[in-house]
Amino acid sequence: MAQGTQSIKIGIVIPLTGATSQFGATMSAAAKIAASDINAAGGVAGRPVEVVIEDDQSNPEAAVRATRKLIDVDKVVSIGGSYASAVTSAIAPLCYESKTALFTSSGADSITKTPHNGYIFRTSPTVTLQGTRVGRYALELGAKKMFFLGPQTPFAQAYIDIISKLFKEAGGAGQGLIYEDKRASYRTEVDQALRTNPDVIVLGGYVPDTSVVLKDLYRAGFGGKKVGFSFGVNQVLADGIPQEVSEGTASLVPSASEESPAYRTLIGKLGRPALDSYSCQVYDHVVLTALALAYAAASSPSGTAVRDSVRAISQGGKGEKVSDVAQGLKMIADKKPINYDGPSGPLEFASNGDVEGVFFRYEQVQQGKMALLKVA
Amino acid sequence: MIVFTELAQYVVNGLVLGALIALPALGLTLIFSVQGFVNFSVAAQMTVGAYAAWLAGSHLGWSPILMLLLAFAVPGALGVVTDRLALAPVRRQSGAHTALMLAVVSIALNLAIENALRFIFGSNLNNFDLPMERNLQVWGLSVGPQQLRNLVTALVIAVALAAFFSLTRWGKAMRAVADNTDLARLKGIEPRSLSNLATFIGMGLAGIGGSLLAIDTSVDPSTGSRLILVIFAASVLGGLTSLYGAVLGALVIGVAGEVAMIAMPPVYQSLTAFLAILVILLVKPTGLFAGATGVRK
Repeated sequence: MAQGTQSIKIGIVIPLTGATSQFGATMSAAAKIAASDINAAGGVAGRPVEVVIEDDQSNPEAAVRATRKLIDVDKVVSIGGSYASAVTSAIAPLCYESKTALFTSSGADSITKTPHNGYIFRTSPTVTLQGTRVGRYALELGAKKMFFLGPQTPFAQAYIDIISKLFKEAGGAGQGLIYEDKRASYRTEVDQALRTNPDVIVLGGYVPDTSVVLKDLYRAGFGGKKVGFSFGVNQVLADGIPQEVSEGTASLVPSASEESPAYRTLIGKLGRPALDSYSCQVYDHVVLTALALAYAAASSPSGTAVRDSVRAISQGGKGEKVSDVAQGLKMIADKKPINYDGPSGPLEFASNGDVEGVFFRYEQVQQGKMALLKVA
Repeated sequence: MIVFTELAQYVVNGLVLGALIALPALGLTLIFSVQGFVNFSVAAQMTVGAYAAWLAGSHLGWSPILMLLLAFAVPGALGVVTDRLALAPVRRQSGAHTALMLAVVSIALNLAIENALRFIFGSNLNNFDLPMERNLQVWGLSVGPQQLRNLVTALVIAVALAAFFSLTRWGKAMRAVADNTDLARLKGIEPRSLSNLATFIGMGLAGIGGSLLAIDTSVDPSTGSRLILVIFAASVLGGLTSLYGAVLGALVIGVAGEVAMIAMPPVYQSLTAFLAILVILLVKPTGLFAGATGVRK
């Protein structure tokens, strides 16, 4: 087969099963839509793109196996998705050492502190930013004593430190406890937390453990405020536990770019009223790879070409704002500068690979449904 | 005094947790005693029981007792079918490593059942349509009404099982097979139908344990497999062939895990289960409670 018609492969490592799989199905659908959008526009320099989707099983060990296969067998130029921080931390070295670009929606600060030589792009806000926002929000609610309950993750201790520091600076107090995520009961952990008389509990877990913690907090009669993160407190959680248990629990959600035409088009294609930020990010991971390769116009597409060209098509004042991948590919072919803004956001990357200028949705469970409080 | 209350509270929490682990541990032990291998698919059968109970309770509106009966029957029957399909062929080619091969096949079986559940029901959490109750306060200790009911249910079933083994013909025959298969066959006992019965009861117990666990937490495809380590530890602690040992082992594992949290960060919780397995296998491989009356007397 001639070189020109061979497809360009883009790997997607996402949780289709396991504790972090709430958005897995829509992530997978978004990746496929991105590929079909690109191919409908003629592909990258005449070559079609193909997304190879692998299930990380919410498990770093399975993710490493999947990533090895994508790099060694499928010879992908980039890997997108990469959701849980533990998964991304495990697969990042495989990617940057093999010069494969890695697009991630994980939060742990440590990920972009690795010696990645520019191969990592993070499209989601960091833990430091999310923790700071949750801490400030809890203070806004009038809380003075914070207690953090969350499972062992690469970011758990960072959350405790960041939020406790904010509370201490505001004249309050904060502490936390890191638990094990596969327990049938968190009674003893909840007892330990409540012994400190907190007026706000920050829930740092994923959906299965958070549901048990919330039940045990309810049983123990906790009447204070509860604030969590989008990966733990979301509609899946609200559907899975009784209303009286979830009522009033707030959640901080990295916001997709909901006013943008790119977002409207994507939810239209998916046939959904709304879409989470993480699935939007996966769509953008595929599009960024395609646009960067089109811009690089290299004879053989590679991770290095992706790395070197992402910023040229996603940011900078000179380029015209583009929210449609077909239009972007056409303008690149015409040698016109572009600045791609996707459904997940404006996609401007700092020199370390972290995304800048993210908004959050502040939501709250009200009678079993996630209700929007504000976007900031 | 405060320290004492705290300690007592952790012991209570541990007993409640131990009671939940006890039923699947009993199932594992029963199957091991009669068939001679560790059937790890108890974990998925717990989940099968949880889904059966959830469908019966939340969709058909069955009463809790009927719900638990279904949670016993469905995994029991499925356990026998999967045993005949996947494990019996391995068992027939008996060799030095048959028990190990059976255990490995049962792990594969566990994955297959778990993923079948995921395929049918999806990965989302499901909640029982039962009212949430606040904890009761007794002598400064707090305990949940549902958890008390779980404890009582587990104890009643354990007593019923003990009666079955010491009073009925089938129970006695099962003990005979557990003790010496060849001698039992000489006496005219048919090991095959007994092994089916042991699988049925064992998986049924796991199913009830799984549904009690799910009433307390939630039903999802991993409900059972999250706990397989502690269940195995409880069974090993009890010596793998003693039914009383399995119950005591479960209570010890439950209490030890919770009480350890006074001195140890909660994140290392399953360390206690690992340590228990390690220490027992090194120091007293017959289990802490060997000699106590069980399937094998």
